[in-house]
Amino acid sequence: MSIPAQRTPGADTPPAMALRGLVKRFDTRLAVSGVSLDVPAGSFFGLLGPNGAGKTTTLSMAVGLLRPDAGQAVLLGYDVWHAPSEAKALVGVLPDGVRMFDRLSGPELLAYHGLLRGMPADVVDQRAGDLLDVLELGAGNRTLVVDYSAGMKKKIGLACALLHAPRLLVLDEPFEAVDPVSAALIRDILQRYVAGGGTVVFSSHVLEVVERLCSHIAIMSDGVLRMHGTLGEVRGDRALQDVFVQVVGGRVATGSELAWL
Amino acid sequence: MAVSVLPFVRLKLRITRNGLRGRPARIAMFVVGAVFAGLFAVGGYLIFALPGLLEHSRSAGILLPLGGALLMLAWTFMPLLFFGVDSALDPAQFALLPVPRRTLLAGLSVAALIGLPALATLVATGGMVHTAARLGGPVAAVAALLGIVSGLLLCVALSRSVTSAFATALRSRRSRDTATILLAVVAASLGPAQLLLLGLLDRADWDTVTMIAQVVGWTPLGAPWSVGVDAASGRLWAVPLKLLIVLAVAGVLVWWWSRTIEQAMLGASTAGGRRATTAPDTRRPVERLLLRGLPRNRFGALTSREARYWWRETRRRATLVTLGVVGVFLPLSSAFGGAPEGAGGLAVVVGAIAPLGLANQFGYEGSAYATNMATGVPGRLEVYSRAAAHALFTVPILLLVALVTEVSAGKPEVVAAQFGTLLATYGVGLALVLPISVWAAYPQPDTSGPFALSSGGGAAKALPSLGAMLGASIATVPLLIAGFLLGPAWLWVGLPLGLAYGAGAFWLGAILAGRMIDRRMPELLAAVSA
Repeated sequence: MSIPAQRTPGADTPPAMALRGLVKRFDTRLAVSGVSLDVPAGSFFGLLGPNGAGKTTTLSMAVGLLRPDAGQAVLLGYDVWHAPSEAKALVGVLPDGVRMFDRLSGPELLAYHGLLRGMPADVVDQRAGDLLDVLELGAGNRTLVVDYSAGMKKKIGLACALLHAPRLLVLDEPFEAVDPVSAALIRDILQRYVAGGGTVVFSSHVLEVVERLCSHIAIMSDGVLRMHGTLGEVRGDRALQDVFVQVVGGRVATGSELAWL
Repeated sequence: MAVSVLPFVRLKLRITRNGLRGRPARIAMFVVGAVFAGLFAVGGYLIFALPGLLEHSRSAGILLPLGGALLMLAWTFMPLLFFGVDSALDPAQFALLPVPRRTLLAGLSVAALIGLPALATLVATGGMVHTAARLGGPVAAVAALLGIVSGLLLCVALSRSVTSAFATALRSRRSRDTATILLAVVAASLGPAQLLLLGLLDRADWDTVTMIAQVVGWTPLGAPWSVGVDAASGRLWAVPLKLLIVLAVAGVLVWWWSRTIEQAMLGASTAGGRRATTAPDTRRPVERLLLRGLPRNRFGALTSREARYWWRETRRRATLVTLGVVGVFLPLSSAFGGAPEGAGGLAVVVGAIAPLGLANQFGYEGSAYATNMATGVPGRLEVYSRAAAHALFTVPILLLVALVTEVSAGKPEVVAAQFGTLLATYGVGLALVLPISVWAAYPQPDTSGPFALSSGGGAAKALPSLGAMLGASIATVPLLIAGFLLGPAWLWVGLPLGLAYGAGAFWLGAILAGRMIDRRMPELLAAVSA
């Protein structure tokens, strides 16, 4: 297999991310049971699910941070577990609940990522400066990332994932703890990135964001992929919220419970 | 009261059990820890019972108060240094529950009593009761029993209040950083100070020692352990007085502890202070990251990041500071303490201690290691860069150790050879420690307190690295023999030979550790993610 040369998605393009029967068991709990999913190249893909549905576990297995008990993850034609260096070179990752090397300042962290990606120093300097500027993190800032606010941490994490101009971005909860202004900025950046031919896969449980951004969505609960397809296919003529609650089997308040409240 | 204390005991046992569940390596380490505790208990019992078995009341009067005082000092400082504040039963976690402070105190105290250290201490000091019974019959035995029970209570109160006070005072990252370093210096000087003291004792006559023991016997540190001897030698009047001293001090400590608990509970939700920022740094990002002279590639980035971490991450800096202090003062105190021949040998121990800073190198940064995984850093590069950054700080310290040791011993011509031996020990130590750091990595979150480890396991986690230290010391024996056989020529070949020996060992260890990383990267990440 090889990397697709053309940027426009088409029927003959291999998927940007192809998951086949991913399984992960923690102790006795089955966190992810057999997830298979194709993310078309050039799509803006939202992975939806309630807390504990297995979104983070799935994405961690997809990008090679967590070894699956069974199954396969192929990114842009490269198997993450058999050709890790090729796959990882083409992917930018923003993990959730994972620390960064936070005793570095923002610019230092970006330089670290850039050099680890094997980029020339002058390119790193130039792109890092641009990213710090656009994301309003301050190029001359000496503050260590550990002392950043939660929103700033998300932004520097996103900058690190974007630095090497990957063809695929995998973002775990990119909008969590981000203020509305920064969220709008991140949305803009990601939309432009997809328009330029990139693919974004991100997880969220904020339906409004997903509905606004995504071309494709998948809904997970209890470690199982319940539904996936284009936004139109999944939603049909109903509101996404209703579909989501119905699919994950959430209960709808009838008014009789918690009457004492 | 008993009813309300029970949940704390159950919680503690449950946390210990959950920490072990499904992790055979942890269970093995726990068992080894239990065996060590057992050995300590039995050995302590025998030592403290010895004066009684020999019916030698004078040595009892020296051994019991001084030995007990050392035990109590260990209780005060060991948790801070090695085992961390037991964050499992951190008072802050009870902040939102409507638990009365009195219940909380009682519960936490009882929970602290449940555990290997308390049990081992009780058994070991049981030897004192034995001695008292042999020397003074049942009355003295009862006095000694009261003594060791109150002594154990004081031990627990001491360790709890000290750790709790530290944890509270150090909520902000800045003050935490400073305190960790300060404490490391104090702790590191304890060992040499003790050696110095022993050296002095060695020269002093027994009358002086007896007097010191008697004085210590009236301080809270020694009082609980000396009541048995007092009763046996007819000073019954001293027994209630000393017990009163102990209980009063314990009472004050508990009162102090209860106040710090309250602060700890209040402080739980306030975040640490923000670092004051100065003038903007106008240098370009890559220039800011890299240390001068390092290449602008992956190795340069990894080594620079790691070196900055050794300085910026407090626990790591504390390790370095400790190493420096121990390294300089251990040989010095031996040189001045009356055994200058031993100084060189002690210096070798410093070379063996040095690599221990890397024993849980992945645990320090926790899940941040995901960055290196996501960017596909190969294992060998990972190991080389980390060792390089560590050596950047350690090798100068070792050179200083060699200089101080041999110059203070009046043999400046041996400095180079001594440095060679240290490098060899350091290299062998690295070779042993690097695979351990991959194989036995455990999370070391730095959020709850400056000395916090995650709950469960405790001292057992340090066992593999202690084994590495021993191994490194043993592995340099061929070099020492070579030095002995070569005689004067050793002064010239010692440095290159030691360097080659150490570098060779390091190379083998690095290859092994690098392969292990390549094979089990995800498992390593999972092991250090808290």
